[in-house]
Amino acid sequence: MDINLNMVDDNKNKLIDKSIDMKIDKRRVVLESVARKMFLLNACIAVISVAAIAFFVFYKGLQPFFSNNAEGTYSLIDFLTGTEWRPNDNISSALYGILYMICGSLMATAGAIMIGVPIGILTAVFISKVAPIRIKKIIKPAVELLAGIPSVIYGVFGLGVIVPKIMQISPQSQGQSLLAVILVLTIMILPTVITISESAIEAVPKAYIEGSYGLGASKIQTIFKVILPAAKSGILAGVVLGIGRAIGETMAVMLVAGNPIAGIPTSIWDPIRPLTTNIAMEMGYAFGLHQEILFSTGVVLFIFIIILNLILNKITAKAGEK
Amino acid sequence: MNRSMKDKIMYGFIGLATAFTVGILLWIIGFVFVNGLKYIDIDFLTSNYDSKTAYVNIPVSNNNTDNKLGITFELKEYEGINYPVIKSIDKSSRVKEAIDKKGNTIKLRKGDIIKKIDSQSTDNLPIVKINDTINNIESDTILVKVTNKGEGIFPMLITTLLTILLSLAVACPIGIFAAIYLTEYAKPGRLVRIIRFATESLAGIPSIIFGLFGMIFFVVYLKLNYSILAGSLTLSIILLPVIIRQTEESLIAIPNSYREGSLGLGATKLQTIRKVVLPNAISGIVVAIILSIGRIVGESAALLLTAGTVARVPQNLFSSGATLTVKAYAVAEEQGDIGMACAIGSVVVILILVLNGLSKVISKKLNRNRA
Repeated sequence: MDINLNMVDDNKNKLIDKSIDMKIDKRRVVLESVARKMFLLNACIAVISVAAIAFFVFYKGLQPFFSNNAEGTYSLIDFLTGTEWRPNDNISSALYGILYMICGSLMATAGAIMIGVPIGILTAVFISKVAPIRIKKIIKPAVELLAGIPSVIYGVFGLGVIVPKIMQISPQSQGQSLLAVILVLTIMILPTVITISESAIEAVPKAYIEGSYGLGASKIQTIFKVILPAAKSGILAGVVLGIGRAIGETMAVMLVAGNPIAGIPTSIWDPIRPLTTNIAMEMGYAFGLHQEILFSTGVVLFIFIIILNLILNKITAKAGEK
Repeated sequence: MNRSMKDKIMYGFIGLATAFTVGILLWIIGFVFVNGLKYIDIDFLTSNYDSKTAYVNIPVSNNNTDNKLGITFELKEYEGINYPVIKSIDKSSRVKEAIDKKGNTIKLRKGDIIKKIDSQSTDNLPIVKINDTINNIESDTILVKVTNKGEGIFPMLITTLLTILLSLAVACPIGIFAAIYLTEYAKPGRLVRIIRFATESLAGIPSIIFGLFGMIFFVVYLKLNYSILAGSLTLSIILLPVIIRQTEESLIAIPNSYREGSLGLGATKLQTIRKVVLPNAISGIVVAIILSIGRIVGESAALLLTAGTVARVPQNLFSSGATLTVKAYAVAEEQGDIGMACAIGSVVVILILVLNGLSKVISKKLNRNRA
């Protein structure tokens, strides 16, 4: 009897132990699944942010072109083809044309790419293929530092150095001009172009280079005939990112652009008003239709960036295929 | 032209391009420091930006200096007139007890301008005359009109610091958790592709667009007004790609055997992450935070539209304020004061240099540990 009782007791204890075990297990399982969901939720915030940004900017920016807008409507054609920007509380006498801003933005970006890309690629070549290790160790951090300098400082440099210099040589009295914007943007895209071209150059297989040397090519010939063509898609990705940076740059450009209220630039001495600075300059005090139209300017800018991102995706996907 | 000539010319181009890049960098930093460093001293870092004038009553004291107030003056030009400026304050002086007309204590400091003493103007008076004026007053307290000329960046330093803390407090958990999901939990598939695409897109969107979004969503829709909170929330979205990417990199670098060992000992996945994965990734996460700080310090376009340009020490998270870079922009654009902009710029560049150095040191340590 006694033994029997003991056994029952033992069994009972075991059962209790097991139930405690199960309780802990259950709690752990719940905790694990809660944690998993929390991590997932946080990962989705990036997605939600992109969606929210696109939604809000487009929602607000497209309103002026629909006839049921409470603040009044503005013709989409006039907006995209107008060359005058005269905000006015009275909608019938206000002019919101951004064609000259689009032209200014594109011209400045194109100019910066034309000067900045060759310089950037050659610097990348120097860093990864020509420079001795000791010099490379100085120049690489220097380029990183160039990338880390805030855009306002580029703007102050432009305003304090580039603009006065241009004023001396320009046929116009004003130094704030397309040329000043191009020069500032050139400097600003350099780090992007250099770092990305450099990693593309480093990724070129050694066999290509050795093969070229084996055929009797010189170092320079190898660089320009073998390495650069092989690194083409990587470099192109860097150029596209550079375009993105140039077209989206605001603060530095705002200080040196001049920001006129009308006129497509016809020479590099003309002042321009890029899309970005149009938003930043007037958003502080704009309301009603004026504010919505500034969002429309943002929509145009956004569309440019989306197109660039799609191109970038194509390029990087191609590079991945290799 | 023979081959070696051609090669030499190309070497020349490569050298020129590099010289341009490095030269521009040196020129920019040199320009900012040469124009800016002369402004920087303790006063610049600790005083307000806006000038402030007040009438204060200062109790007289017994001291060995030239006047009853225990203050020595020097003459300095301000707005075209020579005024006496506080050069030093004696230990025995009772200026600490100075009170304004509302009864608030006002702290007088070195560099403050004394414009009137007991209703007598001090315009262009020699110092001896000023001391005489003070010593001829018989009452226990002397009424003085003081101007603190401001031109300091203390409010912007505080605003920048607050913005850094607030943005990191929001962005770090989100970014790190997202990176944990991507490396520890996610299986390759549509969802992961979408998340990665979104992160990349976030990195490519120009900051003025973030500013537009922040303005319409945080400032107007959530009614936060132009405030540090709205600015920081906008910034934390900008920071997400930086933190996610950097953290992911350091998580991927942790050998799988660590995780397997921990799981093999019976730890749950969550325990493994908390006790094994995260501690090993800590230096990568610190680098992510430092890079984010650099980004916050340098950001301006988004903050211009969400946090405003007021150069005052923020009372709370809902008051608007300018960070260093926003103020540097405002000073250059609205006042055309390149010197002041460079002074603020120097502070920013020094900050960036320190942050760059820190992240270098930490990543070096990280690599050594791994090897």
